[in-house]
Order: sequence, then structure tokens, then C-alpha cells
Amino acid sequence: MLPCPENSECVYLLRVITNFAGPSPGIGLMLEDCTSLISVSAHLTLKKNAILFSFSELERLSNLVGKPSENHPLHNSGLLSLDPVQDKTPLYSQLLQAYKWSNKLQYHAGLASGLLNQQSLKRSANQMGVSAKRRPKAQPTTLVLPPQYVDDVINRIDRMFPEMSIQLSRPNGTSAMLLVTLGKVLKVIVVMRSLFIDRTIVKGYNENVYTEDGKVGYCISSNIKFYFYLVTDHATTALLHYQLPQMPDVVVRSFMTWLRSYIKLFQAPCQRCGKFLQDGLPPTWRDFRTLEAFHDTCRQ
Amino acid sequence: MGVAQVPVAEGKSLQQTVEILTRKLELLGAEKQGTFCVDCETYHTAASTISSQGQTGKLMYVMHNSEYPLSCFALFENGPCLIADANFDILMVKLKGFFQNAKANKIESRGTRYQYCDFLVKVGTVTMGPSARGISVEVEYCPCVIANDCWNLLMEFMQSFMGNHTPGIPSVFGTKHDSIYSPADTMVQYMELFNKIRKQQQVPVAGIR
Ligand SMILES: [Zn+2]
Repeated sequence: MLPCPENSECVYLLRVITNFAGPSPGIGLMLEDCTSLISVSAHLTLKKNAILFSFSELERLSNLVGKPSENHPLHNSGLLSLDPVQDKTPLYSQLLQAYKWSNKLQYHAGLASGLLNQQSLKRSANQMGVSAKRRPKAQPTTLVLPPQYVDDVINRIDRMFPEMSIQLSRPNGTSAMLLVTLGKVLKVIVVMRSLFIDRTIVKGYNENVYTEDGKVGYCISSNIKFYFYLVTDHATTALLHYQLPQMPDVVVRSFMTWLRSYIKLFQAPCQRCGKFLQDGLPPTWRDFRTLEAFHDTCRQ
Repeated sequence: MGVAQVPVAEGKSLQQTVEILTRKLELLGAEKQGTFCVDCETYHTAASTISSQGQTGKLMYVMHNSEYPLSCFALFENGPCLIADANFDILMVKLKGFFQNAKANKIESRGTRYQYCDFLVKVGTVTMGPSARGISVEVEYCPCVIANDCWNLLMEFMQSFMGNHTPGIPSVFGTKHDSIYSPADTMVQYMELFNKIRKQQQVPVAGIR
């Protein structure tokens, strides 16, 4: 027990208590001491009660606060909702909005990835699964392939399509330039970068594709305005469609297969409206999967 | 690619029929691009050469087309077509002893040249001497070099402004298969059309003014 700092009587009391334990003192002294002892103990009781009250109050209040609930959906950040200064810093409502948008984003990203994975020959296709296993080291530097390899791939594709002739030349350094002649329908100049198709220009069969020094030139203007302009447009779209960075040879082959569907360019009516012409133009679009002919305006 | 004769509409003059045709083309969106002219001169084989070689007299046609201003076309009926430089005419003058020009048989088609997308349309009035004899319509689809490939497409286009006067497939197409269409094929068609119109003149048809 600690001596009471406020009252000297308490110090006295201590002495009395120790005296009780020791050899017996005088009785007179004892009586005198007892009165002061009683007053001291009353004082102590009061103090003790006050302390007890404070404790129970604390206990009551702490029960009111309760445990910070762990099953709150936002966990600890949910406690922000208890912040009484809502108006000044609307952190909690902003947080809720952010969560809502992030959920939406995740949902839509899920849908999109499902759709994109249906077509495996796509730039955005997921390459993690099958092809990663099949080709553990899929040429990491496809941008710098030896010219001989490019020649071989092009030659193989050339042999695949009898109605299509591919003539390879390198008029400007290492990059190959292909002159694809499709039947007696059209000519396509394909500018390659390694085994990647960089650019395509579609020309009429009877148009000149050579520059004055006999090289294949791609900047010779076309005097047939509409038709081949549109097909050039579609070919560029096809290039963006058939993208598979790890297998550039597959891309070139897919592109050529698509291009070959133009062999019936002027003979195929639109698969949707059944007509040949719409606003004076034949069906210029070929579907990427079915290779069917459609007018530019009739495709889905 | 296709050259056809359009009959004069009932109750209309030849000029009015041409106007109806061109108005339809303009409504379709075709743009006027100047004029054109195809002419044809007939040459008889001179009598002296017939007797010496024992051949029957053949007609030769020398034609010009404003679409190919530097060329001159020399054709025999059902025979070969020679494409020569424009000064071939001067040579013909020198060959007077073998080929004689039947001046009265000179026939030509003049009219307006229209462009609609990649189509080229020429609507012309065929005249022989001072009188108009008929209407010619030539339609070409520039991107295509194989006439048979795009014939259905051409038909659909012609129907849009010629209606039920859309012609059947020209006889030159039948022998072409998938060889490349050449300017000579157009000239053969004009020659056939001119010959047809000349015969109409011999047997006058009511309604042509
Ligand atoms: Zn259509």
C-alpha cells in the first residue's frame, strides 16, 4: 500500500498498523489513534469507490464502441464511414465509387477476354496456353530473320496457291517486296519488314506496278479510283486482324489465304443483299473467317 | 466492254431518247467527262486485185476511237483486227490502188462520255452522212480485264439505266473465255453495230427519224 500523498494522517495510519504488529503500545495512545484511523479509512473508501465508478464507466463505454467488425465488406477502410467529418473530406463515398467502377471494369474485361479468345489468330489472343507449350522458345527475335528464311517461307506459300504468283524482290536493301498477282484480277504490292507485312497496296491487273528502272514500286498512283482503293483499305484491316507476333509465317499464310478469296472478285454477288452493285461498287469486303463476299455497307 | 444499240423510244425522237438515257445516268450519279467519237470508214478491195487473186471482194473497215487517240484500227469482218499508229490513214491513201474508200459509207458515233464510280459509259448518236440512224451505248468496267468475269455485274449496272433494253452477252465474249479484254474487242463490237445500222437503212424501219 502506498502512503496517501494528500493527507499526513495516512502516514500516521501506516505507523499505527505497524505498531499493531509489533510490541504492544500504550492503550491511551491507541484510543486516540483509532479515531483518526476511522476517518482515514472513510477517506480511503471514498477514493476506492470513485475509482471503481470510473472503471465501470470505462467498461460501459468500451462496450458501446464494440469491436471493429471484421466482416465489414470493405474491412478496415469501412471504418472511414464512421468519420464524422464527412462533408469536408468525402473519402468514403469516393472510395465506394472507385470500388464500383473497378468491379465493372473487371466484369467487362472478363467478357472481352472471353470473346477475344474465340479467335486464336488475333493480335490480342492469349498466348499463354497452347502455343507456349508447343513452342517453348518461339523465335524471340522475329524482327531479324535471315533473308534466306524469309525467301523459304514465301516460296512455300507461293507453291500453296496455284492461282496466285508471288514474286519476291529486294529493291531497297534487305526488306523484301512481294508482287502478288492473283489470277487476272488484281496485283498486290506487299512491303515486308523481315517476315512482317508492313504495308499493302492493291492495284488493278492491267495497272503498272514498276518504276522506270524496272523495280517494283509502291508509290505509283492508281487511276482506278474507287475499287482498288477500297480493297487496299480492307487489306490493311486484314493485316491488323491477322496478327500473331510469335508466328509471323502463319500470319503471312493467313493473309494470303484471305487475299486469294478475291479471285472471284467480279463474279461473286454480295452474300447479304444478293446484288452485284451498291452505289456503283461491287462487294469489296471478304469476311475474315468465311471468306464470303459482302458490300462494304452490307458487312456486319 | 459492252457496246449495244438502244432502240428509239416509242413516240419519241432519237434526240429525246438520248436525253432520257443521259438524264437517267445523271440521276444515278454519273459525271459528264467530255465527249467521245468513234468513226468507221469502209474500204473495198480494188477490182484489179480481185481478178488477179481470184478472191471475193472483202470489206475492210478503218476505225478511230477518241479513247485511243494515237491508234488506228483496221478490221475485216470476222477477220483479224490490226492496231496501228494514227498515221495509218496516210498509208491507206497510198494504197488507193488496192483499197478504195467508199466515202458514202462513212459512219460514226458521237456523244457524251460519263463516269460513274469505276464505270465508263458512252452514249452516242450514230450518224451516217447527214442523218442520225441510231443510238449506241458503250459500258466499260475499268478494274476488270476479263470481260466474262464481270458480265453479270455489267448487266446489273446497265439495267439500272437501260431497263429492258439491256443487251445480251456480246458475241465477242464467247470466244474470249478468260483472255484479257482489249480495245480491239470494243472496235469489233462497234463495227458489228455499225453494220447492223447500215442494214437497217437498206430496209427502212418505221419510227427512226
Ligand atoms: Zn450487299
